[in-house]
Amino acid sequence: MTLQAYLTLAAMLFCIGLFGVITRRNTIGILLGIELMLNAVNINLVAFARFLGDVSGMVFTVFTICITVAEVALGLALVILIFRIRRTAVADHLDLLKG
Amino acid sequence: MAVSGFLALWAWLAPGLAFLILSLVVPLRRSGKPAAWLSIVVSLAALVAAVVAAWHARVPDVARRMLWEWIPVEDGVLTSVGVLVTAEATLMLILVALVSFLVQVYSLGYLADEPPASLGRYYTYQSLFTFSMMGLVLAPNFVQLFICWELVGLCSYLLIGYWYQRPEAARAAVKAFWITKAGDVFFLIGIVMLWSRTGTFDFAELFELVQGGGEALAGLGLVTFFIYLGAAGKSAQFPFHVWLPDAMEGPTPVSALIHAATMVTAGVYLLFRTAFLFEQTPDVLAAVGWIGAFTALLAATLACVQSDIKRVLAYSTVSQLGYMMAAIGAGFAGAGFLHLLTHGVFKALLFLAAGAVIHAVGTNDIHAMGGLARRMPQTFIVFLVGTLSLAGIPLFAGFFSKEEILSAAWAGGLTVPFGMLVLAAFLTAFYMFRVVFIAFLGAPAVASAGHGGHGEAHAHDAPAIMALPLWILAALAMGIGIWFSIAHPEAEFVPPAWLTPLAVGVAVAGIAFAWLVYGLRAISGDRLFERFWWIGEAAMERFWLDDLFALVYRRVILGASRSIGWVDRYIVDGILNVLSAWTLTAGDRLRRIQTGQAQDYVYGVALGVLLLMVWMRWPK
Amino acid sequence: MSIEPIAFWGLAVVLLASSLAVVLTRNLFHSVLYLALSLTATAGVFLSLDAEFLAAVQLLLYAGGVVTIAVFAIVVTERLVGDRITQTSRQILTGFILSGALLVALLAVFRRGPLTVPRPVVTGDLTRAIGQSLLTTYVLPFELLGVLFLAALVGALYFARPDD
Repeated sequence: MTLQAYLTLAAMLFCIGLFGVITRRNTIGILLGIELMLNAVNINLVAFARFLGDVSGMVFTVFTICITVAEVALGLALVILIFRIRRTAVADHLDLLKG
Repeated sequence: MAVSGFLALWAWLAPGLAFLILSLVVPLRRSGKPAAWLSIVVSLAALVAAVVAAWHARVPDVARRMLWEWIPVEDGVLTSVGVLVTAEATLMLILVALVSFLVQVYSLGYLADEPPASLGRYYTYQSLFTFSMMGLVLAPNFVQLFICWELVGLCSYLLIGYWYQRPEAARAAVKAFWITKAGDVFFLIGIVMLWSRTGTFDFAELFELVQGGGEALAGLGLVTFFIYLGAAGKSAQFPFHVWLPDAMEGPTPVSALIHAATMVTAGVYLLFRTAFLFEQTPDVLAAVGWIGAFTALLAATLACVQSDIKRVLAYSTVSQLGYMMAAIGAGFAGAGFLHLLTHGVFKALLFLAAGAVIHAVGTNDIHAMGGLARRMPQTFIVFLVGTLSLAGIPLFAGFFSKEEILSAAWAGGLTVPFGMLVLAAFLTAFYMFRVVFIAFLGAPAVASAGHGGHGEAHAHDAPAIMALPLWILAALAMGIGIWFSIAHPEAEFVPPAWLTPLAVGVAVAGIAFAWLVYGLRAISGDRLFERFWWIGEAAMERFWLDDLFALVYRRVILGASRSIGWVDRYIVDGILNVLSAWTLTAGDRLRRIQTGQAQDYVYGVALGVLLLMVWMRWPK
Repeated sequence: MSIEPIAFWGLAVVLLASSLAVVLTRNLFHSVLYLALSLTATAGVFLSLDAEFLAAVQLLLYAGGVVTIAVFAIVVTERLVGDRITQTSRQILTGFILSGALLVALLAVFRRGPLTVPRPVVTGDLTRAIGQSLLTTYVLPFELLGVLFLAALVGALYFARPDD
């Protein structure tokens, strides 16, 4: 398939992920949306790497996957910690930054 | 002639140096007596320099100029500072230096009871005044003259209000400042108008311009009239004369120096210096003459009903200033200038003598005095010398200059002003000898002693430090009078034969009348007052001029200030306050964007990215 | 009819459908499961792009590790709260509009550029190329990645410490 097809696929996935991040109330749900967005980015990177003949795109993908894993681990740990303290996982209740 | 320039410069700058030292070196000023001695010594040095400069510059109609460029503009210089030394300028310089020196010596005795810090302040102001007045006299152009003019006005304010804790003194100082300022505004306008027409401020250049004639001089009448208004304010011409009697709230030496001999004569000197301009506008000159003569007569009538000895002298000064202006208005500025010099000497003498009386008796009211001639013989003698000079009796200084003015008025064709001046001469002799008869001769008053003084019963002659200036001035008055009688300067005209007897006769008649009323009590003063009640009453109210000025001040000026203040508070500040309130409200509303919820921020980021993409890709 | 377009379209449908399910399902647990499905579909996409190594990494780390962690988190929090967490969403319409607009913008970008590039021929082993690249050109980020993992490990240990 053409590069454009892959890029379109990745764009759709990205926007679905964005929709999830914006609308979900539960913090874990937001993290899942972020996962989708990162996934889309990875597809993008690999597609470009394949079609332009440069392997560094795939190397970059390796990096992003690793970093995402670390981020998810710690993010979920934070969610659990917040649960212990605040007894809630609903993101709307975590508004200490309110100006 | 070159030496005169440098000497004049030194005479001018030395008091300025004294002022700087006294104002900056605070411990010296606070110490009182040492500050006084510094000022006195410097003014003596200035006097010596002035005398030597005058000797070197005695050739008439030759001017020595020394200029330093001051304000540079595109092509050339806008104005300079420096000195313009002529024979007459050096004579005026001597007058200023002499009277300043004598007054400062006198003040050491008169103000002996003042706290040292106040005394230091007094002498600082005195030095500043001497510096400013000399700068005015020697000014080579209008700019320097105006600056020194304002400085002199400032010193007048500071010295009138020397005892600033007294509300009358503070009010009088402000009044003097306001009224002279009104004249100064017109003066400044006149200067600028002159510059816009001719492109120069310099006297010498203007003189050349006038000699050459030309179209640049069209419309000069308005300019000279405005300049005259400035002089009218400073020299207390009608209707601006109201500040001078109130200025007597200041210490008597200040009155002698500033409001008799020097500052008030600055207007006369200005007109004398710029006479070549005024010659081009005869209408303005005629107005000057008429107003001058009217002022002389008006002030003379006012002086007849005053009980305060200083106020009598103040009105007398106004009257004599009117004389000088009348001479200038007649076209003979030299006569006016001569009277300026002689008047400076004997009026300062009269004021200082009055000061000695006040110092001894403790009151200004002549009706509380009496028989002082017996108790204070020396003061009586010098006062009499001054009075005879003022009345215009031959052998005394004032006679010759007064007669010159009368002849000038006659020769200039101003007949009605001439009549006014003659009548004023009669009144002058009358009111001065009224004071002599009431205060010095006659029985002592029954009234009790004044506060602060020794009381009439203990009146005695002044101490040496005050008496010495008195004797010097008296000797000078007599000396000048005798010298003029023997070898009087060339007059520009020959007076008619009947003029001299008329002048002397009028003066003698005035003295005789005063003797009848106040000496012999043959004619009742009260009956006289009733006969002339329409003038007398008005004179007591000072012709309601003070009230008029006060009304204008309170209603117009303060009213304008109040309304402008209202505009400032409610409109200008109001706009700012509204703007700031809007800003605060807007900030308050905007902070609701910060919901504290991360998803909303993501929202914002996504929106931003979208907008960025749209903007980048928008077809151009 | 080559297999490739069919494979692509199939994978695309699965991927998009499961992603939509991730963001729209009420039940959080179901969400995670759908996520696992979508991650697996992504691995398939990688395969279709001849990136075998990446497909393997994706399956191992994402579909294996991340989903496991997410499930554990849900279980733990669910137990903490006591009952099943139901999902509700907020501001669906505006979110939809925004995402839709962004999608439209992105697609508009793709229209412009010359993106119909033919797929070049694969020369050599891509996995080998990735490995070589990692250890020569990109060795610095590689090492830093190790540091990152160390930091994450320490952080996780810190979070997991017992309350004193």
